Amino acid sequence: MNKKWFLLGVMALFAVLAIAGCAPAAQPTSAPPTAAPAQPTAAAGQATAVPTPKPTVERAAKGGIRKSTSTYKGDLNLWVLGYTPGNAFANPFDNAVEQFMKDNPDINVTITGYPPNDEGFTKLSTALQSGQGIDLLRLPSDRLPGFVRDDLVEPIDSYLTDADKADILPNVLDVVRVKDGKAWAWPLWVVPMGIYVNSDVFKEAGVELPAKDWTWDQFVDAAKKTTFKRANGEQVYGFSGFVDPGVINTWGLWMNQDPSVRPITTDGKYGLNSEAAASGLQRFADLALVHKVTPPDFGSQKDADVKGGFTNKQYAMVVDATGFAPQLKNNKVNFEIYPLPTVNGNKLTVGAVGLIAVAKQTDDQKRLAAMDLGRYLTSAEVQEDVPPGSNVSTGFYLAPGARKSVKVVDPLDKFLTVLPDMWITPLVPDWAKFTRLFHPEYQNILFGKEKPADAMSKIADEAQKYLEIQ
Amino acid sequence: MTGIRKFIKQYGWSYLFILPSLVTFTIFTLVPVLWSLVISFQDYSLVRGGKWVTPIYANYVEAFTLLNGIFLIAIRNTVIYTLFTVIAAIGLGLILASLIQPLSNRLRTFFRAAYYLPAVTSALIIGLTWAYIFNAQWGFATYLTRMFGLPPIRWLSDPDIAFWSVVLSAVLTLPATAIVLFSAAMGAIPQEYYEAADLDGASPIQKWWNITVPLVKSTTLYLVVLYTIASFEVFERIYIMVPSGVGNSTQTIVTQIYNNGFKDFDFGIASAQAFVLFAMIALVAAFQFRVLRSDVEY
Repeated sequence: MNKKWFLLGVMALFAVLAIAGCAPAAQPTSAPPTAAPAQPTAAAGQATAVPTPKPTVERAAKGGIRKSTSTYKGDLNLWVLGYTPGNAFANPFDNAVEQFMKDNPDINVTITGYPPNDEGFTKLSTALQSGQGIDLLRLPSDRLPGFVRDDLVEPIDSYLTDADKADILPNVLDVVRVKDGKAWAWPLWVVPMGIYVNSDVFKEAGVELPAKDWTWDQFVDAAKKTTFKRANGEQVYGFSGFVDPGVINTWGLWMNQDPSVRPITTDGKYGLNSEAAASGLQRFADLALVHKVTPPDFGSQKDADVKGGFTNKQYAMVVDATGFAPQLKNNKVNFEIYPLPTVNGNKLTVGAVGLIAVAKQTDDQKRLAAMDLGRYLTSAEVQEDVPPGSNVSTGFYLAPGARKSVKVVDPLDKFLTVLPDMWITPLVPDWAKFTRLFHPEYQNILFGKEKPADAMSKIADEAQKYLEIQ
Repeated sequence: MTGIRKFIKQYGWSYLFILPSLVTFTIFTLVPVLWSLVISFQDYSLVRGGKWVTPIYANYVEAFTLLNGIFLIAIRNTVIYTLFTVIAAIGLGLILASLIQPLSNRLRTFFRAAYYLPAVTSALIIGLTWAYIFNAQWGFATYLTRMFGLPPIRWLSDPDIAFWSVVLSAVLTLPATAIVLFSAAMGAIPQEYYEAADLDGASPIQKWWNITVPLVKSTTLYLVVLYTIASFEVFERIYIMVPSGVGNSTQTIVTQIYNNGFKDFDFGIASAQAFVLFAMIALVAAFQFRVLRSDVEY
């Protein structure tokens, strides 16, 4: 009998362990955050988005560039980066497409979303390669050269009017001329990175907001002062940022070491195996390793956790792109946007250009309709049709537009000052492959497992191969 | 010819029964596998089609040298993961099934069902749960370490620890299939052996070691092969728990195949790596069959 009870006891113990091992244990424990960080599985960019009511605007046909010049009747499939119904990336496009369809009742536009991370781009590339279910796509500029090389998108030159040429910022139009001197996509907006400063956390820590022309030392000082423990035991960190092969959010904070610190130098060589690059990388890694102002999982955090942590006042500052601003505004978070701090007097931000490309088409009229939709979605008219204040806090544009005629509103206008110092990701077909090579080394530097000089030299030969313009 | 006709006449009807599964197997498994073998010697693009690489084994060489030789790290990680998880699964499965065995039918059924829960739970949910448990800021494991006054551990963000956290999660997610199959195998062992051992004055441990363990050897072999194949193919757990890779410390063979195939669209290299995995599994399975082959009958 005793043996039986003993066995039962042991089994009960194992049962408890098994259940403990499999049951969701996501509840905050000793130091509960004021609100749990956003769900890690949420696609990046939608972590803090709160669906807002649809505007009650009665739409009617308005004509102009909204009206397609094609005779096409049928469906157009538009793929939008970061789109999830109801989120900050979806509402602008839903509204704009609604207007386009009012002007073109014979064209039915269907939107498909894909998340802005490695997985999202995999989904997009697969759809493009299969040639099914995709006619237009919103994408960042660094993905364009690969699609052009594989002959998956159409050049837009024949569809560019004189008005377009006069309106689109010339240097931005140059960005999409990646092969044979042709432009391969409609430039939509320019997306620089900025430092988001949570005013409430600074206030709670009793720290004055720094001046906007801040230096690296002032930035570190602010991060140190805003790293503190709340009375309830919750730890607040001064800084965080998303590190992933698919993004460059944090790169500006070490590339600002010296103008020579670039993945490709002006003479086409891999440029991160230099002393200056090593110094910049080490300085940035020291935020975690020496100053201890970053969360313990900095370097491997999910985007949703970074955004959620800032929104929930767990991080005082994060580095992120323009698209985060409308989300914060929707969520009524008190924040300021700062340029990246200067180092040795170097001003720099990094970023990409948002584009609308037209997928390869065999039907001329369908191609023309897709081009007309592409033009409309990158125009000043679309901002008129989707003004700020409806369910889109900054209007259609989530970043400074690529046309002179597009006006952006607060808080996006704060990014305008950093545009002159913006470095745009190189347009090489194997950029994604380079970032996959670079990313683990970058992580190891941030984790303190490798010296920057060793890590960057180790990948030099292979990096050079991927960064060559083919 | 007559022999074939006779065979068809005699057994042909029975093949009709397996025809549906034979057709689906051919279409969805055999043809893709053979095609993949062809692609492993090609530079293949969905748009441009395939062209043979020169030398013909170039993809196999590049499979090992690409991205700073990460595939070798992935192989090492996969082998270590397999060793730990298979040993733990078989050991835990055997022990837990043995503990269930003396219980009444009703209790035994209850525990079998309870232990089988992880097998019917989505790998995605299990992976997410473990990611929560190991969250460096507010996870349950972090809470436990704090409770014991230990310094915070970066479970999933320290390259020296992240891989072992994944292994630990696999070990602690109970081996449902092993428990159920061992339990069934133990139920089939004739009670006379245990009665004879009782008469000889054998202790429970001796009975377990000398009767139970040898007589479930064929089940052990089956489970070892099954768990080895599953461990070599580990993907979802890694993909969900450590999507950023943690400085390559958590890469496995299948994550590399996935990255090359569906992120870089290098189908040739991905196929070459898949055949390296196939060869490894085949070799290990053959070795396991040879070593664990059972000659016990009862």
